Amino acid sequence: MGIILEVKNLTKKFGGLTAVNDFSFEIKRGEFVGLIGPNGAGKTTVFNLISGRDKPSSGSIRFDGVNITGLKPYKIVNLGIARTFQLVRSFKFLSLLDNISVSCLSKRGKAVSKKIGTEEYASSILTSVGLVDKATIPPVVLPHGDLRKLQIGKAIGTNPELLLLDEPFSGLSHEEKVGITDLIKKLHADGVTIFMTGHVLRELMTLVPRVIAMHQGKFIIDGSPEEVANNKIVLEAYLGRGAGFA
Amino acid sequence: MQSTKIKEISYESKKIKKGTIKYKINNFPDYLKSWVKTFSGALTLFCLIILIVIPFLSTEQSYVEFFLPHFTLAMIFAILAASWDLLTGISGQISFGQSIFFGIAGYLCAYLIDYQGFPIWLSIIIGTAGAVFFSLIIGIPALRLKGPYLALGTLVFSIILLKLFLLGSLSEWLFGSEGISGLPKMSESSVLTYFIVFITMIITFIAIIQISKSKLGTIFKSIRDDETGSEASGINTTKYKIIAFMLSGVFAGIAGTYYALYNTAVNPTGNFGVTISFFAILMASLGGLATITGSAMGAFFFIFVEYILIELGAADYVQLIFALTLILVVRFADRGILKPTLERLKDLWDVLLGK
Repeated sequence: MGIILEVKNLTKKFGGLTAVNDFSFEIKRGEFVGLIGPNGAGKTTVFNLISGRDKPSSGSIRFDGVNITGLKPYKIVNLGIARTFQLVRSFKFLSLLDNISVSCLSKRGKAVSKKIGTEEYASSILTSVGLVDKATIPPVVLPHGDLRKLQIGKAIGTNPELLLLDEPFSGLSHEEKVGITDLIKKLHADGVTIFMTGHVLRELMTLVPRVIAMHQGKFIIDGSPEEVANNKIVLEAYLGRGAGFA
Repeated sequence: MQSTKIKEISYESKKIKKGTIKYKINNFPDYLKSWVKTFSGALTLFCLIILIVIPFLSTEQSYVEFFLPHFTLAMIFAILAASWDLLTGISGQISFGQSIFFGIAGYLCAYLIDYQGFPIWLSIIIGTAGAVFFSLIIGIPALRLKGPYLALGTLVFSIILLKLFLLGSLSEWLFGSEGISGLPKMSESSVLTYFIVFITMIITFIAIIQISKSKLGTIFKSIRDDETGSEASGINTTKYKIIAFMLSGVFAGIAGTYYALYNTAVNPTGNFGVTISFFAILMASLGGLATITGSAMGAFFFIFVEYILIELGAADYVQLIFALTLILVVRFADRGILKPTLERLKDLWDVLLGK
């Protein structure tokens, strides 16, 4: 048990816009943490910086003690961080099984595939996300909820220690949300550290024991869902100036 | 450091290829039987039998010396078109520069035969290897480009190469606009040449199709479909783009050396011309992107349309008709012609068999 993710003074500027501003926090191995903030707060940018899709303007990111700041995305994945995207992406012309197989063919995924075989590994992941009966069809015909499950499956294929989930519930029906919630809970129970963004407080509050809140790129508060939900600055950020309490 | 990286990449790609082909080789008789029973397998076998029989249909000199070589030429272009399909259709790296591999391999092969007295087979191998190596040097910076920028970059580079050999101050050292001529043919017998190219084409197509179906092929397709997503799945996309480039270069290079021997000469416009790259794109697109076998169909179609037009005295209209065909294909048949035709044929076949 130790600190799995350490972010210090993370800043990202896009020209004149400071998307992430001197942002710092720590996550311990095995935790289940939420990252909230209204739209445009910078949550996805923080994920992009951690996963290597963008380079920070300044600040550092350490994963399990290793400095991963500015590394290429595939290297960061192979160190043990996987992420899903806010807008679902998939390999359009590959079957679901092949979609998962790609992650199983990463350096980290191959360490597992070597023992049980790539197809077996990919099938077992498809089964665990509940999509194995659609293994041979391409993603284009899938409903949104299944695409979100596929994304999580693709992330699992790299055998991550830390999973970054970017708005995993957006666009889902209530039933679909339950399915995803169960999946995430199971991953957490299996030992994966989960760091999740969302901008609807209610969903996160019942799920995560700890929430970090940000607004306009800046850190606001880090605490339990109750503390965060009653925090004056958080309420102002969501509801506008003058909002007193929940 | 660069060279060890290159060795590592080529070793890894060969390793991946062997893993999947081995199974099929070990179980070859059964695999062959089950393949022939499928519709596409039977149809392919039928076409192969026709191709094997064609050289023997007539012994008249006009047939053997003038008509038959057009099939040989079509097969050379089929190899080139398939090499482009591997790079663009399967791996998503839009390239307008197949003439780069094609021309360098052809020139190097011609130089080795004519000026160094190397045997033909060694020259083909070294010519191809040289083309691949040279393209790596251009390719590695070029791979930072994506999509239309990569297309433009490869086009520009192929034109630079053309001008270098044709007009630049270096062109005197590079044999100038005359190029190298007086090369031997691949064989005195045009029938033997036909079969050498035929076997090469078969091996090329089997190799590329197996690559496409293998784990390496899955990785290539993931880069094509969503490069960011592929990186996010832990794939070193730069390394695999380089591998795709190199594999494409091997086959395009072989086609380039065969073309040099077919014409018994190389010259700048003939071997480095942009039309070479366009032909590859045209033929593969007509057949169908990512189908691989469509490249053969496209190659035969275009070579014979060109032959017919020239025989009819309409040689000036060749490029116009090709361009029009491409526009029509893009507008009405963007999946190419092969797959929809096969699907219709298969439905007909099923109906005839009463299924």
